[in-house]
Amino acid sequence: MKPDETRPGNRILTWLALAGGLLFLFPALYSIFMSFQTVDAYYTGTLDFTLENYQLAIGQFHFARYLFNSLIVSGTVTVMGLAFATMAAFAFARFRFAGGNLLFAAVVATLMIPSHISLIPNYLSLARVGLLDTYAGLILPAISNGFAAFFLRQYIRGIPVALDEAAYMDGATPLQVLWRVIVPIARPAIFSMGLFIFISEWNSYIWPLVAVGDEDLYTLQVGLARLYKVNPGEDVVNWPLVMAASTITILPILLGFIFVERHLVRGITMGAVK
Amino acid sequence: MSSIQLENIRKSYAGGPEVLHGVSMDIRAGEFVVIVGPSGCGKSTLLRLVAGLETCVEGNILIGDKRVNALPPQDRDIAMIFQNYALYPHMSVRQNIAFGLELRGIPRAERNARAEDVARTLKLEAYLDRKPGALSGGQRQRVAMGRALARDSSIFLMDEPLSNLDNALRVTMRTEIKELHTQLGATVVYVTHDQTEALSLADRVAVMKDGNLLQFDTPSAIYDRPANRFVAGFLGMPAMNFIPIETLPHWPGRSGLTVGLRPENMRLHTSEPEGQAFAGKVLLSEMTGSELILHCDTELGRLIVTTPRRDIAAGQTSIWVGLDTDRALFFDNGSERRVDL
Ligand SMILES: Nc1ncnc2c1ncn2[C@@H]1O[C@H](COP(=O)(O)OP(=O)(O)O)[C@@H](O)[C@H]1O
Ligand SMILES: [Mg+2]
Repeated sequence: MKPDETRPGNRILTWLALAGGLLFLFPALYSIFMSFQTVDAYYTGTLDFTLENYQLAIGQFHFARYLFNSLIVSGTVTVMGLAFATMAAFAFARFRFAGGNLLFAAVVATLMIPSHISLIPNYLSLARVGLLDTYAGLILPAISNGFAAFFLRQYIRGIPVALDEAAYMDGATPLQVLWRVIVPIARPAIFSMGLFIFISEWNSYIWPLVAVGDEDLYTLQVGLARLYKVNPGEDVVNWPLVMAASTITILPILLGFIFVERHLVRGITMGAVK
Repeated sequence: MSSIQLENIRKSYAGGPEVLHGVSMDIRAGEFVVIVGPSGCGKSTLLRLVAGLETCVEGNILIGDKRVNALPPQDRDIAMIFQNYALYPHMSVRQNIAFGLELRGIPRAERNARAEDVARTLKLEAYLDRKPGALSGGQRQRVAMGRALARDSSIFLMDEPLSNLDNALRVTMRTEIKELHTQLGATVVYVTHDQTEALSLADRVAVMKDGNLLQFDTPSAIYDRPANRFVAGFLGMPAMNFIPIETLPHWPGRSGLTVGLRPENMRLHTSEPEGQAFAGKVLLSEMTGSELILHCDTELGRLIVTTPRRDIAAGQTSIWVGLDTDRALFFDNGSERRVDL
């Protein structure tokens, strides 16, 4: 039922929610607004509309290239991470095998290790196999995602096993059960997880910073951080430029969210079993 | 058509006690076998072993003449109908029915034609494009049947397929299942806890209790010559009356026996008759239509008698019950087995 707007309590709540929303939105809107101002206008407090910050970010600072890199890295990590996590989740949820519980405990244990602890070991391993300064070096350490495996396992456990069994009786192999029955039903969970993985990878900074020295492989976050030290001759940061670069950075995430949101519908198991 | 042979099947679930204690059964090709027994006696477990959804440590399962113990379910070519239907919620009725064919690589046009055929048989044509979530319980049940039928298997396993339906629908579907079996000629193993279903559907009934097969025979043989007291009491509605023989003067037999008499084998008198009869009072009477089920408190204890409705006036409570000695069964109090006198 829709909340009754005429009740005073509800009206106050609506206004409070709106205020809260604006509070969160304000910095983003402000930075987008500022990205269209010249530096001088920014520092003198006047208004002077321009697109030159975007020209600068894309032309001089290669943000188009960084954007491409980020898309490649985050996209691959998301697809591969989901693939591995889904298969692991299916195995952990449905099959009993020797050492299964121990293995699952190990997966859960990885959630408790701060990522910074594995930074140096990862760096050394990748250096040894010569994958620093490559896309593979950016991608590989991120594709095994313990949290995704754990989360999806819990979700799959909520899907009635009878559906798997019906599919086996229909002649499906385990992989067909996973792909034709489990994945479509778990789609909302998988999409949410995908969004989550994509955003964390998009925002990841430390690993791309240490794994890559070649500017051609910079991701957006690494490129963005470098803007703070531009123009060594001057003693001010070009904030409107930073804001333009930030806008380039957050835009794909927003678009991605809009794309994924309609898949986050729930209640699809309805009608499966009595 | 395939026969199914079960040889000395023992099964326990991981970390649990044994739930099947050596069950052997010889199911002929084309036969309709109903496994009946109280809840928890191991019926589903047995069915799932045949399906390949469970494995057993001991015993042999043969389909045709092939030992299938180690064969995974997808390679056994058996169709199964689950109690809760287990329809794929993300697929339309058409896709649900055709899924098994799709997995076998049947081209789309052909499998859709087949699905529509099956849907017509089951009066589901109007719902082919709906998802299971938008169907009623009875329709879902039909889709579950359709999914099994589309496959053209020679063996059908059904685990309480009608238990989630209302009574009228259950009776209709029972008839339809029986008719389908006659048409298809496939081997059917049907699990139920409902003795009426068992007696009305089966070529042969297997009665189970606590993981043991007690009797496996035709419905009439099971009804007329139950192997033991449990089978006698479990099949037949209303249930058989049991009377200690010691309370019956001048009866043949020996002490240590219990007499079993079905409610329809007792004669109801509204006035004291000639010959042996036991006086009593009607405690409760249930109408089933043409007949009445009377719960009586008599000299012999609580007895249930069925009688045509016209034989007793409404409201009459004092009655006499005569026993049909020829129809009486005798059970040993120790072993509970039926004994012939
Ligand atoms: N997956 C399982 N794990 C452990 N015990 C089970 C499992 N399934 C059934 N059982 C036990 O096995 C016995 C027989 O169950 P089941 O075959 O389902 O009986 P029925 O179908 O006759 O009601 C019951 O005692 C039940 O608790
Ligand atoms: Mg059962």
